[in-house]
Amino acid sequence: MDIIAKVQKENRNVLSEYESKLLLAAYGIPVTKELLVESDAALASALQEVGYPLVMKGCSSEIAHKTEKGLIRIDIRGEAEAKAAFGEIMAAMNGAAGAVLVQEMVRGQRELVVGMTRDPQFGPCVMFGLGGIFTEILRDVSFRKAPLEKRDALQMMGEIKGKKILEAIRGMEAADLEALAAMLINVGRVGLENATVKEIDINPVILSKGKPVAVDALVVLI
Amino acid sequence: MAADFDRIFNPKRIAFVGVSAGGYGFANEMLSSHLKMGFAGAIYPVNPKGGEIFGLTIYRSVEEIPESIDFAIIAVAARFVPETLEACRLKGAAGAEIVSAGFREAATNEGADLEQRVKAICAKGIRVVGPNCFGIYCPESGLTFVPGPDLSRTPGGVAFVSQSGGMSIDFALLGRSLGLRYSKIISLGNGVDLRETELLKYLGDDEKTKVIAMYVEGVEDGTLFFETLKKVTAAKPVVIYKGGLSDAGQRAVQSHTASLGGSRAIWEGTLRQAGAVQVSNLYEAVQTCLAFSLLPIRPYRSMAVIGGGGALGVAACDAAERFDLAIPRLKDEVRDKIDLLLPKPGSSADNPIDVANPYVAPQTIAEILREAAGDERIDIQVLVQLLYHYKSLAINMGLASLKDITPTAILAEGVEDVVAKTGKPVVMVLPNHRQEPGELDVEEMLRSAKKAFLERGIPVFDDLDEALRAIHHVARYCQGL
Repeated sequence: MDIIAKVQKENRNVLSEYESKLLLAAYGIPVTKELLVESDAALASALQEVGYPLVMKGCSSEIAHKTEKGLIRIDIRGEAEAKAAFGEIMAAMNGAAGAVLVQEMVRGQRELVVGMTRDPQFGPCVMFGLGGIFTEILRDVSFRKAPLEKRDALQMMGEIKGKKILEAIRGMEAADLEALAAMLINVGRVGLENATVKEIDINPVILSKGKPVAVDALVVLI
Repeated sequence: MAADFDRIFNPKRIAFVGVSAGGYGFANEMLSSHLKMGFAGAIYPVNPKGGEIFGLTIYRSVEEIPESIDFAIIAVAARFVPETLEACRLKGAAGAEIVSAGFREAATNEGADLEQRVKAICAKGIRVVGPNCFGIYCPESGLTFVPGPDLSRTPGGVAFVSQSGGMSIDFALLGRSLGLRYSKIISLGNGVDLRETELLKYLGDDEKTKVIAMYVEGVEDGTLFFETLKKVTAAKPVVIYKGGLSDAGQRAVQSHTASLGGSRAIWEGTLRQAGAVQVSNLYEAVQTCLAFSLLPIRPYRSMAVIGGGGALGVAACDAAERFDLAIPRLKDEVRDKIDLLLPKPGSSADNPIDVANPYVAPQTIAEILREAAGDERIDIQVLVQLLYHYKSLAINMGLASLKDITPTAILAEGVEDVVAKTGKPVVMVLPNHRQEPGELDVEEMLRSAKKAFLERGIPVFDDLDEALRAIHHVARYCQGL
């Protein structure tokens, strides 16, 4: 992939959120609609393109934990608010090379995690589990070796303790298992077809009206 | 190169290299074990000093053996192993087991070098088990481990491949006492040549093997192992005890996925994906193999549980839930027929069926099982018999022997008949809650009871949880097919 070559050329081993999603989108993984904005001048057209409400995030491969560093603004509903946020985020990045990601705000209450790790014995393995802050707290995840067949993907979704989150609950639609299975299979393909990709986190994957969307992503190279 | 496994597991002529006319070394013990096991083929002991051992002539070299050989057991010092192996190869051996230690596991340059030399000889056309292993146990031919002069010669359908020598003999011993019969057990040792994946493939094709168990610490080629495993599990169950599972925690990783993907999580997912049954200790491995050997392989879901005591019913329901099994309500007409058979008061014909006292006649127990099997919702039955209570009866009746009043034979015959007539398996649970030193009579009675059931193809467990876990493994394997 061009994006991987570019990152390697820059002597980096971590893809920014924006770059990570470009790679994932190339494998048919649904990602948020987003544009990378480097200057005030480009902001207005990006806001129009993405549409309100939207999310703005500091985007730099040098910064891993955006939330802790105050680099995320959500639910931005107008241009004045967006301009102010842009200035604050750029300042907060404190000189790190980066830009601001203007991103559609995906609505959904259920957060999942999908990932890939390169196991020393089994090669690329795909992970599925509860996302957001629960990933670390509950560690409710399952793994399968790539390549995954559809039945593997469905089985691993049924293996987590919190599997009920995928059902139609509390007025929310049932998760689109076909789309989730495709996402798991495709994350496995990223690992199989790119020997330099060491780890992938897509967290959260938000279920929006039941459809999974990659809202944040991290790709680490060897 | 392809292995001639038939000549390896069923050799007609074996060289035992490293025995000595005097003393009591490893090789002598090995030879003695094979003689005690009644290995029927020709045995050629080898030692440069010559002489005689156990009435057999010791040849001064492998070359001196008057015939070609099929197999060799090599127990010479590590530094003499390469030349010995080469001599065996030239003598026509299809394979050899090297029990000697002092190779890679010694973590010395010399050890690593010797192992490379062994590998080079294997490439010329002899297949090796070991080094640093306990060898091969094959009840059919009489090949046995070093500490195995009295293993069973009755062959059966369970094979075991182990990356630990100690585990291989423990599996052989424990499994035999719990009711397993083996096709072959292989202790891989350092696995310089024959390894887990190739043996798995062979055992998958081996008509004599019905169930494969493995103790694995690591595999050489994860993807090849996975693909082989997936193919084999489509044909027969593979039970895997993976040793040395850990969480990734300490590895230097940058993503949550990698930090959560320790060997435990990855192995669990991968084994399930390949259709294998994962167990977490030796007991569970043996018990699971027992269930696979004796039960029809079906996706069991609903059980009838028959036993004594109210708490037993509760315990059964709790355990059933844990192992994805159901204890459904019986149809009214079945329930009513069972109720007529039960002693009153104190019994309950509702599933789990409480027979109220431990002395219910075995004929009655058999009738209850027969009736419960008539309910189409029932896939399998579990009969918990507290036979140790016969000790109390014996004491109260002033009898010296417990055996005479414990109706194990009639019970076993009755259960066997129910299984044959109804086509629905029965799993026995025979706990022993009398384990004082003075109660060896109870232990003896229970062991003979266990034998009576096993001889009739009825699996027996000491504990209800363990029985349900084993049934669960069979059901889950089936659901993965």
